[in-house]
Amino acid sequence: MELYAPVLVLGAIGAAFVVVSMVVGSIAGPKRYNRAKLQAYECGIEPTPQPAGGGRFTIKYYLTAMLFIVFDIEIIFLYPWAVHFDELGLFGLIAMVLFLVNVSIAYAYEWRRGGLEWE
Amino acid sequence: MSNAADPVNAGLLLADEPGLSAFGTDPWWITLIKALGIFVFLMVCVLMMIMADRKVMGRMQQRHGPNRLGPWGLLQSLADGVKLSLKEDVIPRGVDRFVYIAAPMIAAVPAFLAFSVIPVGPEVNLFGVMTPLQLTDLPIAALLVLATASIGVYGIVLGGWASQSPYALLGGLRASAQVISYEIAMGLSFVAVFMYSGTLTTSGIVDAQRPIWFAIILFPSFLIYLVTMIGETNRLPFDLAEGEGEIVGGFMTEYGSMKFTMFFLAEYVNMVTVSAVSVTFFLGGYLAPPPITTFWAGANEGWWPALWWLLKFMGVMFLFIWVRGSVPRIRYDQLMALGWKVLIPVQLVWITALAAIRILTNEGAPAVVIGGVVAVFVAVVIASLYAWGRSVKRRRAAEAAERAEERKRMRDDPMYGGFPVPPMTAPHYGTSVPAEDLTPPASTDKEVTGA
Amino acid sequence: MITETSSVPAAVLSAPTITEQAPHIDYWLLSPLLVVFGAAVLGVLFEALVPQARRRALQLGLALAATAAAFVLTVLQGGSIPAGEAGTTLALGSVAVDRVALFLQGTILVLAFISLLLIAENRRGESAFAAQAATVPGSEEERSHILAGSQHTEVYPLVLFAVLGMQLFTAANDFLTMFIALEVMSLPLYLLCGLARRRRLFSQEAAVKYFLLGAFSSAFFLFGIALVYGYAGSVNFARVSEAIDAGGASLFEDGSGEPLLLIGIALIGVGLLFKVGAVPFHNWKPDVYQGAPTPITALMASCTLVAAFGALLRVFYTAFGASVDQWRPMLWTVAILTMVLAAVVAVTQRDIKRLLAYSSVVHAGFMLTAVVAASPEGLAGAMFYLAAYGFTTIGAFAIVTLVRTHENGPEAGELAQWAGLGRTSPLLAGSLALFLLAFAGIPLTSGFIGKFAVFEAAMAAGATPLVVVGVLSSAVTAFFYVRIIVLMFFSEPAETGPTVIRAGGLTGSAIAVGVAATFLLGVFPSPVLDNLVPQPSEEAAEPAVATADGFTR
Repeated sequence: MELYAPVLVLGAIGAAFVVVSMVVGSIAGPKRYNRAKLQAYECGIEPTPQPAGGGRFTIKYYLTAMLFIVFDIEIIFLYPWAVHFDELGLFGLIAMVLFLVNVSIAYAYEWRRGGLEWE
Repeated sequence: MSNAADPVNAGLLLADEPGLSAFGTDPWWITLIKALGIFVFLMVCVLMMIMADRKVMGRMQQRHGPNRLGPWGLLQSLADGVKLSLKEDVIPRGVDRFVYIAAPMIAAVPAFLAFSVIPVGPEVNLFGVMTPLQLTDLPIAALLVLATASIGVYGIVLGGWASQSPYALLGGLRASAQVISYEIAMGLSFVAVFMYSGTLTTSGIVDAQRPIWFAIILFPSFLIYLVTMIGETNRLPFDLAEGEGEIVGGFMTEYGSMKFTMFFLAEYVNMVTVSAVSVTFFLGGYLAPPPITTFWAGANEGWWPALWWLLKFMGVMFLFIWVRGSVPRIRYDQLMALGWKVLIPVQLVWITALAAIRILTNEGAPAVVIGGVVAVFVAVVIASLYAWGRSVKRRRAAEAAERAEERKRMRDDPMYGGFPVPPMTAPHYGTSVPAEDLTPPASTDKEVTGA
Repeated sequence: MITETSSVPAAVLSAPTITEQAPHIDYWLLSPLLVVFGAAVLGVLFEALVPQARRRALQLGLALAATAAAFVLTVLQGGSIPAGEAGTTLALGSVAVDRVALFLQGTILVLAFISLLLIAENRRGESAFAAQAATVPGSEEERSHILAGSQHTEVYPLVLFAVLGMQLFTAANDFLTMFIALEVMSLPLYLLCGLARRRRLFSQEAAVKYFLLGAFSSAFFLFGIALVYGYAGSVNFARVSEAIDAGGASLFEDGSGEPLLLIGIALIGVGLLFKVGAVPFHNWKPDVYQGAPTPITALMASCTLVAAFGALLRVFYTAFGASVDQWRPMLWTVAILTMVLAAVVAVTQRDIKRLLAYSSVVHAGFMLTAVVAASPEGLAGAMFYLAAYGFTTIGAFAIVTLVRTHENGPEAGELAQWAGLGRTSPLLAGSLALFLLAFAGIPLTSGFIGKFAVFEAAMAAGATPLVVVGVLSSAVTAFFYVRIIVLMFFSEPAETGPTVIRAGGLTGSAIAVGVAATFLLGVFPSPVLDNLVPQPSEEAAEPAVATADGFTR
């Protein structure tokens, strides 16, 4: 816990600064009501009506997020192996290469099927 | 449950990471001084960086940059900050108020955290207490760095979503997709570092670089880290999330006053952090640059290392500005392709090669075998480069053929594509130029646009 | 409750040890799984690199070859287990290779092979699967894919992955391996369910339902694992069993950890019973069986059931074998509920696939009586039942794929449309009648022997009321099976009668194998049955009664 407490101290200082400056910002600034100012900014045209929940957006972002999770988990497996690389030796290397090959095959599939293309 | 009350536990925790014995023993006021020091350093860094950004960019573009406020205009960004705080705090109608206000905080606060594990110097005498120039170190310090980097994304995507505006939503999505894409490559570039350091503690990683910097022996990792570091912080040439030519201000479009400042602050603090991480992981941290130690043994003692650290850090920060001044913004599909199709595969091959060679060296394999493995990997790299080049050429050829076909159709049939075109024989055309002469030569690679 | 507060975290923290030497793994014993896994991975690679036109033949060949090769390897290993020994565990005790696992794996592989034949059936370029599942149903894009003759050849690697999961599910010897196997088995199936060519929305609904409920049950399963781990201090079945004998891990005072164990058993039971499809966790079955492409339904109804029961038997016999008195009442209740409720609801069904789904639920109830018996005979009976039922149900679903509303139309699910089918196509109706009789448990069919074995074991274990309920429920189910037979043979063909399309070679052989197995296992069950029931001499040789059931520990 002694090791982690300083991180929290720094976080608390940062958070205090952020909150205080945002409060100051909201108090110090002028308040001049103007209907147009409260509309969403769309380069001057009437704002597009927003459907509840933000509407739909392209599935590409979901795909990217899923791919990210796959690779993030791969990295999580790689780190302990890298840290204890010398102790794990050849067995660790072979196991990890097999793991990487398996992930790469799925990656190759996604690549070939256009999962990584952005228009 | 505190460790002091439970010595068995504390011993166990620390026994695993022998390098950590110097940490967690500071009196509270030293911790507070260090934390405040880091905070002040970060704030000053941000102000100076914004200044430097504008001035260096100015020089690169043959102009002066801000030079009115303070000596050489140094107080310009401070004045900007004060001005921003005096602006009206507009909260647009229809936004999700709670998330809208929370988003800048979520973006800004974690940005500060990562710096707590950055080592700036070895143990020094601070007001009579021997303490390392580092707020703290954790058995998983490197993961803390990555974790705080990811939490910042929440601020971006939530800010974009809460704004309830198309530009903001799109900007938020773009930014988060970009940041997570580059985070993979960034995470992979650390693997080689951990392989050579054998620890996740930042002080241990710096220590492991005493013989030689990782930037030299792990050059590909370092190079990729530099690219991902720019991608991760949404800086030019990867600043698609706020590309003002495309989607106005991106996720910050609807933000003003101090809330905008917080996003801005988070971006610059993140730059500071990733630069500091690059110094720690690849550039030998606070260790003196190699030639100095040969003739000056004291270079790595006392407060001097902090200077080396600062110099390296400023070098990396300058790189940000330099890249920004030299490289144009790339397209979004190019951005994602670079992240997913270049950086990640290159990393995977590089890590495998490195691991294989290191294992062979450890096991004492003869030089012939190691040379053979190296040769195989080089062959693989060359073969894949060749295959890639061929596929690019093929794709270009196919695209050119498609375009030529398109042009031919346009030429043969004026109505092609559904455009209402008056017949070519219409009287007012008079003596028209033959259609063939109007088309550009088919060999050019340029897209035919407009007319 | 916990006695040594301070030392517990210390013990846990000091646990991470880096093994200096590599663990020894017997790859030969793992080879049936590795073959299937390798083929599945290769299949994904084919998808990425082989041109579309050549994919189907290649994938099908690969999948069939892999299942066949894995079956041969499984049989070889079955032969190599020395007589009198149960088997062995490998990979640090996480996978068991014993007679039960090998028999069930062999069964799964054979059934998967037959299902693959059904899956591969392709009439004039039209398979049972959607041309392009990602398109919006009814859209122009979907039409263009159909016209272009697109195919999802990903089906084959997905099936292989599912089969791999099933193989591992029956052999897993610790809870974590079992959970991984569960997910490897389930995830491809969720996807496959959504790929039906006809009635796309219905199929997608089935897939989503299956996925949500499956994920939910996985969560139960995991939570149960956590509790049992807390109780026993290990996820390994043998260690769990020892811990139960010892009254919990060392941190518990005598018996104070009992609630953890009981809740853990219940939650793990929920996860497994969901996969088995026992009441009250059966709700997914009718919807999913109906919505999924029929060949996939066949795969699920046969192979998944075998795998799920394999896992259920192993968990309750080996890991929780020592606390049989605690879990027996729970399984009693579930078995009775399953047999009664599903049989009653099945009577009201008007759709053939839903009816077969409910019938599968009822059969799960019959097999649960064998689990309740918790004896070597019960195990043998359940194993025989699983194999017999698997062949029969694949045959029945194969027939369902052949009866269409009109030429090139969707399958005729409505039972009313099947009227008089026995007159227009007697061979087909005859086969179906045989399958239905086997389901009903009429003598001279495999179903009868299976039921007899199961009920006999339950009776011997003192579960007579359960057997009575089972027999009554059998009678109810026989009613609706016979009703279909009557409908097919003794009523006038409906005016808007279905079109029976000619069975292709692949479907035909699947039906033929089903008929042959149903008949042969019914008339000559002894070669199989005798090998399953442990010989008396062996039993006497074993020191403890509990280890005589064929499971390794």
